[in-house]
Amino acid sequence: MFTTGSKLFVGATVLSTVGAIVFGASVGGPTGLLGTIGLISVAIAFGFLAGINFFTRDGNVSAMEPAAELNSAAAQPPVGRSMWPLVTAVGVGGMAIGAVSKPVVFKVSVILVLAAAVEWMIQGWSERASSDRAYNDSLRKRLLHPLEFPILASVIAALVIYSFSRIMLTIDKDAGRWVFIIIGAVITTIGFVFAAKRGMSKGTAGGIVAIGLLALVGVGVASAVSGQRPIEEHPGITTAVCLGTASEAEIEEVDAKASQTVAAKSNVLANVYLDDTDHLFALNGGIGHVEYQEITVPRSTTVHVLFHNDSAEPRRLTVHLGTFPAADGSAGSEIADCTTAVEEGGEAFLTFRLDKSQDASSTPYRLTVPGVEGQEIKLLVP
Amino acid sequence: MDRSDKTVTTLGDMPSPRRRWTRAALVGLGLVLAGCAKDAPQDYFQPKGPNAQKIDDLQRPVFYIAAIVGVIVIGVVGYIVFKFKDRGQDIPEQSHGNPKLEIALTILPAIILAGIAVPTVITVFDLDKKDDTECIINVTGQQWWWEYDYATGECGGVEISQPIVTSGELVIPVDTPVLLRITSRDVIHSYWIPALNGKRDAVPGRLHTLRMQADEAGLYTGQCTEFCGLSHARMRQAAVALDQADFQSWVDNQLEPYVAPEADTLASTGEGTFIANCSKCHQVNGIANADGTPVLSDPDLYVVSGVAPNLTNLLTRTAIAGWTFDIVTEECRTKLWETKGEGFGELYLQGVTPECFDEVALREWLRNPPGMKPMFADATNLESTGGKYRGMPNLNLTEDQIDQLIAFLIERK
Repeated sequence: MFTTGSKLFVGATVLSTVGAIVFGASVGGPTGLLGTIGLISVAIAFGFLAGINFFTRDGNVSAMEPAAELNSAAAQPPVGRSMWPLVTAVGVGGMAIGAVSKPVVFKVSVILVLAAAVEWMIQGWSERASSDRAYNDSLRKRLLHPLEFPILASVIAALVIYSFSRIMLTIDKDAGRWVFIIIGAVITTIGFVFAAKRGMSKGTAGGIVAIGLLALVGVGVASAVSGQRPIEEHPGITTAVCLGTASEAEIEEVDAKASQTVAAKSNVLANVYLDDTDHLFALNGGIGHVEYQEITVPRSTTVHVLFHNDSAEPRRLTVHLGTFPAADGSAGSEIADCTTAVEEGGEAFLTFRLDKSQDASSTPYRLTVPGVEGQEIKLLVP
Repeated sequence: MDRSDKTVTTLGDMPSPRRRWTRAALVGLGLVLAGCAKDAPQDYFQPKGPNAQKIDDLQRPVFYIAAIVGVIVIGVVGYIVFKFKDRGQDIPEQSHGNPKLEIALTILPAIILAGIAVPTVITVFDLDKKDDTECIINVTGQQWWWEYDYATGECGGVEISQPIVTSGELVIPVDTPVLLRITSRDVIHSYWIPALNGKRDAVPGRLHTLRMQADEAGLYTGQCTEFCGLSHARMRQAAVALDQADFQSWVDNQLEPYVAPEADTLASTGEGTFIANCSKCHQVNGIANADGTPVLSDPDLYVVSGVAPNLTNLLTRTAIAGWTFDIVTEECRTKLWETKGEGFGELYLQGVTPECFDEVALREWLRNPPGMKPMFADATNLESTGGKYRGMPNLNLTEDQIDQLIAFLIERK
């Protein structure tokens, strides 16, 4: 009475139902409820499949139709060997390795298994979609190429980008420039040859590209294994630098090759000038003709000040961001930020934000230029 | 073409032509009459300042030209639809292309657009001028209210010796070009007082300028015009224009030192309640603890935007919570909104008088702010903001505490 296929699904249905009962009885709370609902859903799905198999007699050809034994879609042999079982096995292996090593390996393996499952299912289905092999093959291509080509292209592009980046991070900066000029020239030349030489077979062209790709990925992997070249770290601007209490060497390092121009000059709260008499003043954004010695700054708002140095000496603009009690209850020390040193005629942007009212700080908020005495612009934060 | 198989709709299924025309005429009339609304304070066809006037001078001719073009196009389309309606007649001979007509229909719009572009560009540059402004006000948007910081210096002939912080109502001197420097503390907002100028986006990290000038004393309303989250629709604002003398009085009042409530009154209890419950975020300038140390707010620790409205002179403003809920009676509000020119300043500077004070909204707000205005203020649901609120949470104040706070706040004038 029961066909082979329906027996399998009937068994799975019974197993799922028993599982649902056991799970529901043993695990309480939302987890238990959700799990039970999930298992019952699985049982219903298996039951449905069992019914279909039973109804269609496992899709077996009726004994009354001997011709179908040869001509039906189900009677056709596969059009070719499938690599998807192998890919699935690799993916499952990767999942096992990833589970005990790196999460990224596990995630990539899961994606691989899912992709292989989709490919395998569609290939299996399409090979027996009809008794026409050519049609079956075209059916598979029609369904999977829109998926395969973009994914494959993305993977290849990612490999190329990753390999290039590893190579560039490994080789010397100056050597890298030449390496990539040469690689660019070679690629252009090969492209030219491809274009000029008519009649080149797809296989030859594909082979050359594949060799180039393999070489690139190989060198990229080797670069990744060998690691990055030493990258010199430069100290950033610190409060000590801004207040002029850092060492000469540190200050020199911070100011080395500092930019002297600003491209984005709009959107500033104020333009601050140090003129050739070492007089410091501000022009408020908007009212250009009035010199200000104090600027009102909105609280908790990121603002930008543009510093113009018209004095003969290289100068930096320092913003004093206040002094607040430390976590241990002590008085705390003053916080400051500043521009790098600006040469005569140069300009620099200073971005800052004052979160507390001016009354919260034991030292006033202000702008100063270290080395220029008696000049400051008050920052008023209501 | 064989028309024998076409579907025929019987006349009995359709309303009569007269009925259809009547319906269409009624709909059209309704649309036209909607444009005659008088109680429309945010009507951008009613400029009340030179900047808005420039926009109006530009948009009216453009509107009229567009209207003429629109009427012609709709008329021609309508004529064609009715004239050549499918009545089962044979399809006429088909033709393709008419170079002369196509060239003419390309050149004509191009000329119209070029004609519009010239005054548009001139107006855009004109509105962007800043050199003649006489006053700077920092306008900062946050979810869901506007803050105004008045920079120190001269503003329309009035000296501002200390920064002034207020919210909701932007107070400016009449006939004075004021420069708003607009930015945001959280997401993008857009500042718009249609009677005085166009819109300007408030973008975090950027400072956009907008000229503002009113011809006449009065109250001009607006609202945020960039969708900014849950309560975008309840992020409103107003500009209040005052004569120079009245503006001077307003500035003087804003800079008045804090006067503590009389001892042993409900208000003095309210001061303590304020310090205990509200001062973590809201500042009242000059308020001090019992030991004399100033009470300083730290909204940057509790609120995503880093600020909460300064309540030093709360009762000089007529609405709260993003200028959404009136704290004046309907009668007083109407009087204030409708008075323009002489007499407005005196009326406005009275602040919220005991006769006009309507505590319903304030009381309800203190009782449950998120209940009045949707905000991200559920303490159990702040993981995504690192424990900080967007808006005011429910402080679960008792009715007694609310009474005390109202008694305290009503003196903040």
